[in-house]
Amino acid sequence: MMRACRTPRNVEICITNQCNLRCTYCSHFSSEGSGSDDLPTGEWLAFFEELNRCSVLEVVLGGGEPLLRGDLMELVNGIVTNRMRFRIQTNGLLLTLELAASLRSTGRCHQVQLSIDGSCPEVHDHFRGDGSFEGVITGLRILQKSRLPISVRVTVHKRNVDDLERIATLLLEGFGLPAFSTNSASYMGLCRQNADEVQLGVEEHSRAMEALLRLGDRYPGRILANAGPLSNARHWLDMERARKEGLDPFPDCGYLRSCGGVFSKITVRADGVIVPCVQMTHIELGRINRSDLRVLWQEHPGILSLRRRWDVPLGSFEFCRGCPYIPYCRGNCPALAYTILGVENHPSPDACLRRFLDSGGKLPRVS
Amino acid sequence: MRSEALVLPMPRIVLREETDDWAILFDPDTAATFGVNPMGVLVFRLLDGSRTVRDIVAEIRERCTDVPSDAERIVGDFLEELVTRGMAELRTPGGR
Ligand code: SF4
Ligand code: SF4
Repeated sequence: MMRACRTPRNVEICITNQCNLRCTYCSHFSSEGSGSDDLPTGEWLAFFEELNRCSVLEVVLGGGEPLLRGDLMELVNGIVTNRMRFRIQTNGLLLTLELAASLRSTGRCHQVQLSIDGSCPEVHDHFRGDGSFEGVITGLRILQKSRLPISVRVTVHKRNVDDLERIATLLLEGFGLPAFSTNSASYMGLCRQNADEVQLGVEEHSRAMEALLRLGDRYPGRILANAGPLSNARHWLDMERARKEGLDPFPDCGYLRSCGGVFSKITVRADGVIVPCVQMTHIELGRINRSDLRVLWQEHPGILSLRRRWDVPLGSFEFCRGCPYIPYCRGNCPALAYTILGVENHPSPDACLRRFLDSGGKLPRVS
Repeated sequence: MRSEALVLPMPRIVLREETDDWAILFDPDTAATFGVNPMGVLVFRLLDGSRTVRDIVAEIRERCTDVPSDAERIVGDFLEELVTRGMAELRTPGGR
């Protein structure tokens, strides 16, 4: 089994369950713990001291909408005092020049992440709510003016699949961002109730892959993806070529090895419950300031079981039996395996190439 | 670096032990990291503001076997590197 660090390197915390939006595909709302009250400042500050003792390097502040916390700067200062850096994931609507200046003055803000899903209000606001495009664009301008490091995430869905080129033009040419990343609305949180309305169908997925690969050629190295259509396109083309040419197995493939997160990071829900990942809030490992994080990280059966996925061969699953892609496949995201099938330690149908092709999906043409 | 030099790590620097006794030194102000081997970890832990380079090497000789004869130069170079990277500071004036 791959060895985990002695303590997590990165801790993602949901500092609030409140949000000023209700995006149709939000992965937060309706997940476990999302209805609870937020923790008081002191609980987080005490936890940051433990993170310091564990030599954690970075805290990711998410939610809900983290900027709704009136004590945000107090929490940020707690992170700084405890020798860590931080990132913030925000919908951008509540950013002000004053707040941006305060974040910048810490010298420890690694990134502020915004979500921009359309090149215009009609597309962006469709699932995020009226006024949210204007709000996030104002937020982006504030961050640029304040010279804070920015990352933009584009979630691809049914309504923006034909807007991707304009989004790339807006972000890379209009705003001159060095890059942006993409994923897709996946079967989690509120999206589960709205999947038909939001999620890409097979044909749309093919179109999104084509468009993003084309944009990737036009803007080399500037369109990123760890999941979603672009990531699938890149992996699936490699897998198909390898199958056709009978290549040797790819490194770390043939086993459930898609997710390395449990070896280096951990998450805390807004109610203080420690879970393996922001997408796996149902696996409760402990509670901050009550559980010893170092012990939990090294010994909790829930996290050890997720790490043991790495030793589980894809060939042992009925789901993968006879699949020619096994030597080139890592079995996909465990959180999605859980939301779709009810079990984490299983290949996820979500990014399964064989299933995609069997449902009539087409791989992008490569020039 | 002179044998009697005193070096102190900057308080913000994080020593993060990874697997196999290797570690990284992390500067949260710059996000810079510097990989250190088990001997580097031991040296870093001995930087308490009271031990000179010579004291550190003496301590290492007491705790470890097969310490190279030029250990003082190796430790001095390592500390010099930490100071250059802004991860530690020299406490004795003219101590280099
Ligand atoms: S996706 Fe983000 S902005 Fe939208 S409702 Fe969820 S937490 Fe709020
Ligand atoms: S069936 Fe799907 S998940 Fe299993 S090996 Fe084939 S492509 Fe991968």
